[in-house]
Amino acid sequence: MHDLQAPLVGRRRVARDAFVLGFRAGPIAREVRAGQFVNVLLRPGPLLRRPFSVHRTEGEIVELVLRAVGEGTGRLLELREGDRVGLLGPLGRGFALDPSAGRVTLVSGGLGVAPMPMAARQARAMGLHVCWVHGARTAADLCSEWEGDEICWATEDGSRGVRGTALEAVPEPAGQVLACGPLPMLAALARRWPEAQVAVETVMGCGTGVCLGCAVPLTSGVYTRACTEGPVYRAGAVAWERLPAPAHAGWET
Amino acid sequence: MSDARDGLTPAGPLEVGGVHLATPVMAASGTFGFGTEVPLCDRRALGGMVCKGIFLEPRAGAPPPRIVETPSGMLNAIGLQGPGVETVIREYAPLWATWPFPVLVNLNGETVEEYAELAARLDGVAGVSGLEVNISCPNVERGGMLFGQDPDLAAAVTAAVRVRTRLPVWVKLTPAAGDISAVARACEEAGADALCAVNTFVGMALDVRTGQPRLGFRTGGLSGPAIRPLAVYLAHRVAQAVRIPVIGIGGITRPEDALEFLLAGCRAVQVGTATFVDPNAIGRVVEGLRRRSTPDGAPPGHRLRPA
Ligand SMILES: Cc1cc2nc3c(=O)[nH]c(=O)nc-3n(C[C@H](O)[C@H](O)[C@H](O)COP(=O)(O)OP(=O)(O)OC[C@H]3O[C@@H](n4cnc5c(N)ncnc54)[C@H](O)[C@@H]3O)c2cc1C
Ligand SMILES: Cc1cc2nc3c(=O)[nH]c(=O)nc-3n(C[C@H](O)[C@H](O)[C@H](O)COP(=O)(O)O)c2cc1C
Ligand code: FES
Repeated sequence: MHDLQAPLVGRRRVARDAFVLGFRAGPIAREVRAGQFVNVLLRPGPLLRRPFSVHRTEGEIVELVLRAVGEGTGRLLELREGDRVGLLGPLGRGFALDPSAGRVTLVSGGLGVAPMPMAARQARAMGLHVCWVHGARTAADLCSEWEGDEICWATEDGSRGVRGTALEAVPEPAGQVLACGPLPMLAALARRWPEAQVAVETVMGCGTGVCLGCAVPLTSGVYTRACTEGPVYRAGAVAWERLPAPAHAGWET
Repeated sequence: MSDARDGLTPAGPLEVGGVHLATPVMAASGTFGFGTEVPLCDRRALGGMVCKGIFLEPRAGAPPPRIVETPSGMLNAIGLQGPGVETVIREYAPLWATWPFPVLVNLNGETVEEYAELAARLDGVAGVSGLEVNISCPNVERGGMLFGQDPDLAAAVTAAVRVRTRLPVWVKLTPAAGDISAVARACEEAGADALCAVNTFVGMALDVRTGQPRLGFRTGGLSGPAIRPLAVYLAHRVAQAVRIPVIGIGGITRPEDALEFLLAGCRAVQVGTATFVDPNAIGRVVEGLRRRSTPDGAPPGHRLRPA
């Protein structure tokens, strides 16, 4: 775990409102695994840090993808190159790829693309065939970048790819399934592939396991910490009906 | 207690209410877990630690969402999720026994007898340097803050714990008490060795789109910089009301915030929410106190004149 002051070194638009921000943070870039996150401190900015999945790494650079939904994300998108933020990470438990699966399907809804490029690269490096299925409301909200061996698009209005959700566009056999996106999508995915690994989003106080603010209810009846035991869970283990959707629009596009 | 302010060494080791602190800056309950979770904190700066509040039995905690950020603060309703006393004795206390700073256990109960039973179970456990009796948690259905609002109930809990342990007994007060001085005096008379002031303030935040509370427990406890002036005032009132030492808590982020509580009459302080933002917040507070101390160890600036 590192606590660094990281300068913004790049920014690009990848969907109508979504931007990728690159920060120079070598020690985090070298350690982070797909599905892990960083906790971002903004000064001036809100009191608490804001958690973001690591989207990609490129050498010393840690990339995040986000859109403005509130004070913290709004400020992040106002940063100029050279401005510094505090980056704490890498945090949490990422995806566990199964080298014997042969094929892995990445399912992302809206900003659920966040952890997928790293997952695609790690999977390919292990010799897995990577199929990425990405859905959004409309074509303009689809992320313009993808990685892997094949891509399937889905839009609710049918403006690109399959009409419907990413889930409906998944080609079978899916092999190992990794997913990230809005809660209703993940809950539906859990019914179809209980063994899938899903990255969930909760409010967080600390990101390091001390506050117990990031509770994720499991079907076994206990709460676990999204920042420590998560944010990646076995889909069938999460008590989806007791996991509240974040107040913000978060992953949705 | 006049010597509380006279012999002030703002960054060195000191004895407070029967506990030998390495520095006057401690980690507050619920913000430092069981001491194993904050790897980036400079442990040489830690005066001591109060572990997350526990009950006799394990508890699931409150339904999410459990945290909402508010202007310069946060509301939490964790609901005292945690392992029971057995796990603490078996898994954590042996670790604590090897650490260079003291660990106090934050005690919770729904009845006076539950607090007393917890105290008895922890008596003589190596690694436990003291008890912090939490009669101020706002996030439980029974017990908690209700005990801290009434001097007689506060005294009953304190006395019941006192007779069941040889460990130092600190009592953590709630700002919800109508007359915090009266509660403080009642705890002192019932045998408390020190008082901690204060726990969180009850608050509420609503989702304006759904009209519903933003916390799963509906209400929560407010902490962070937003509460600091309220906490300094209450800690000062408590310090004036009793002769036993007072540990100041509420919104401390910078060294000067800690100094403010010391000037208000506290012997030591606890840092909570600031650790969420900066895992080494305590290290930075202690470092700042050291840099700002004069060679004889006294803090710069003026003593607080009596009103
Ligand atoms: C592990 C993890 C990974 C994540 N990864 C990503 C990622 O890669 N990309 C990404 O974009 N996000 C990600 N998130 C989500 C991200 O952390 C949040 O979107 C972010 O914290 C929002 O911060 P903010 O300050 O912008 O919004 P806040 O200011 O916290 O506000 C959030 C929302 O709440 C609304 N709100 C505030 N007050 C009220 C009220 N009284 N009533 C109703 N609504 C209200 C605001 O309007 C806003 O829409 C992740 C979260 C987690 C836990
Ligand atoms: C997430 C969270 C959990 C807490 N849990 C406990 C607890 O278990 N027992 C307790 O006595 N106080 C608990 N507190 C209160 C703190 O110890 C402290 O009194 C309060 O947060 C004010 O200090 P601060 O502003 O520095 O955070 C908790 C506070 C927070 C924010
Ligand atoms: S965010 Fe604090 S424990 Fe997970």
